[in-house]
Amino acid sequence: MMDRFKCMYASREEKMMDRPKVSVIVPVYNAQSHLRQCLDSITGQTLSEIEILCVDDGSTDSSAQILEEYKGRDPRLHVIRQENAGAGAARNRGLAEASGEYLSFLDADDFFEPDMLECAYERAVSGNAQIVVFRSDQYHTEEGVFRDMPWTLRSHALAPYRPMDCRTFTDNVFKVFVGWAWDKLFEREFVLKHGLRFQEQRTSNDLLFVFLAIVLAERIETEERVLAHQRRGAASSLSNTREKSWQCFYEALKALRENLIRLGRYQELEQDYINYALHFSLWNLDTLQGEKKKELRRMLKKHWFRELGIAGKKEDYFYNKKEYRQYREIVRGRLPWLYLSVAGGIVD
Amino acid sequence: MAKVSVIIPVYNAEKYLAECLDSITRQTLKDIEIICISDGSTDQSSDILQKYQERDSRILLIQRENRGYGYTMNEGIARASGEYIGIVEADDYAALNMYEELYQKAKEYDLDFVKADFYRFKREQSGSMELAYNHLSPDPSDYNQVFNPGENPETLRYIMNTWSGIYKRSFLEKYHIQHNETPGASFQDNGFWFQTFIYGKRGMIVDRPYYRNRRDNPDSSVKSKEKVYCINAEYDYIRGILLKDPALWERFRHMYWFKKYHNYMGTLWRIDEKYREEYLMRFSEELKRGIALGDLVREPFSCNAWNNIRSITEDPGKYYLTRVYPAGMNQKVFEQMQALETENRKLKEEIASIRRSKTFRLGKILLFLPGKLKRMLRGRKR
Repeated sequence: MMDRFKCMYASREEKMMDRPKVSVIVPVYNAQSHLRQCLDSITGQTLSEIEILCVDDGSTDSSAQILEEYKGRDPRLHVIRQENAGAGAARNRGLAEASGEYLSFLDADDFFEPDMLECAYERAVSGNAQIVVFRSDQYHTEEGVFRDMPWTLRSHALAPYRPMDCRTFTDNVFKVFVGWAWDKLFEREFVLKHGLRFQEQRTSNDLLFVFLAIVLAERIETEERVLAHQRRGAASSLSNTREKSWQCFYEALKALRENLIRLGRYQELEQDYINYALHFSLWNLDTLQGEKKKELRRMLKKHWFRELGIAGKKEDYFYNKKEYRQYREIVRGRLPWLYLSVAGGIVD
Repeated sequence: MAKVSVIIPVYNAEKYLAECLDSITRQTLKDIEIICISDGSTDQSSDILQKYQERDSRILLIQRENRGYGYTMNEGIARASGEYIGIVEADDYAALNMYEELYQKAKEYDLDFVKADFYRFKREQSGSMELAYNHLSPDPSDYNQVFNPGENPETLRYIMNTWSGIYKRSFLEKYHIQHNETPGASFQDNGFWFQTFIYGKRGMIVDRPYYRNRRDNPDSSVKSKEKVYCINAEYDYIRGILLKDPALWERFRHMYWFKKYHNYMGTLWRIDEKYREEYLMRFSEELKRGIALGDLVREPFSCNAWNNIRSITEDPGKYYLTRVYPAGMNQKVFEQMQALETENRKLKEEIASIRRSKTFRLGKILLFLPGKLKRMLRGRKR
């Protein structure tokens, strides 16, 4: 009996000691060209008490071999295989297996500062934070240059005191940070407590997870140093082929609204939500290539603007008047207004 | 059950504590309980408290490490067993009939809380005392009648303090009215006071002064310089409580901003000069956000206050230079700045007009080829 107790005690203690500080979750799908650089920059992190969970989302290139090779070299790296189900499902799978204090969701084509995790983890611990957001930039592969992304962390809207939650933000809660997961650290216990999960769809699958976390967190910390580099112009990047999943952003926005209502937070956040929904719809429309653009425009005009709550709101309601004008243009059609403004110009 | 539990949170108040304790132990209302909590005092406060406790069995003494004002008050309320609860700061004191008369009013009208006018006082070196009478409301007709604060957001205009009254304990318990447990003394009375008004159904204010609030204690939190954003954090706490019920937020958000604005203005002048610019910038951002969301509106404010809000939001940098920047310097610096700006604008216009002129354009065309040649030659030399 005593032995068993001792044994239990020992194993619990051992577990506590073994518990990684950060679980890094990387969904991998046909990422052979940049996977090595990504894994090198994770395994070489100065914070060594981490686990690396690579979820191979049914890759058909040499990604699987590369993962095996790294697994053989680094005992902290684990490979989980699943049939192709998208990055959202892969991240959920990693989340289910993770045991770290904090979670980091990275993408297989990005790369990171060697002390990214150490720096972010320190921030997290010192502020007992549920989320840490750090600054990042873009790396343009073809030109080989880095570009700033000031909009991923709008410092002017942050509280200069603690605790900082989203209610202390002085700008749209959904625009202070970006709705992607890789420039953030999430406390695992916090994620589990609120049952946060990624949407299992091809693109925009992290928006719901990230924004719900931001709305729910009581303590958010930020780091002004650039710690991660997002690769742009990589052939494997999903955002290059968004025409295959052009409705995903709408599903994400819809789910966000439903969840805010469920949490009793919608009334408080409605104006921010609607402004963000318009912003994100327009961004998707502007950046979508190919034939689907027309269809998206039609769907927004006929259904989605209404379903997202944008339709029927007055100009005063919108923080960004340019976006509002663009919305009016889509709803009313461009031509009559063009004539009017030309006529106005002649009169002037 | 005692009629009133008087809670005295004590943090390093050796100079004033005896006067305070004397005024409570000698209250004409004898059926009281006195809960003294020494919140990690490092001076002689504990010895003084012990001496009084030995003499008066109604005193319950708790001594422990420092946990902050909010935690201390919550602990005191949790330990209290009286029908009503009173709060006395360790450097203040009370008139001897305070609790007898307030308790009588509270019982007569079955009140959730009753509050009274009070004195602020300063004691000079010579021993003479300066007393200032403070009215909770400027309108005499607000007094001596039962009001429903939860349905009248306007009552939040009454002067904020938690110590000039008593609160029914069952009322505090029913609505879980607590202090924010932030460290030290960080204006945690604001949140408590707000809650008594938003949840209260039967309140009364009385036009007789009982409580004496000290204004000459240099250690008093109102004068501390370092904790710049404490009041912001306290107002975040209050907003969190109001937002738990969207109907409450809807009803009180305008008055919430009214109180917040005046508290922030007070803070701007209380904090050290070196923090004021940064504080004002944050203030401006918060005001703008409040206006954008429709929480901060014109209606509750005086003309002066509203003009001030507009100046702070439209150009906080200018507001700082003209209205906040250390006195004496401001007007001179501002005039110089304006003169330089005007000169700058004139020079820019002059440059533009030169660039537009035909002679300049002609010269540019004529010099294009020679210039190109010169640059080429220079390049070759290297």
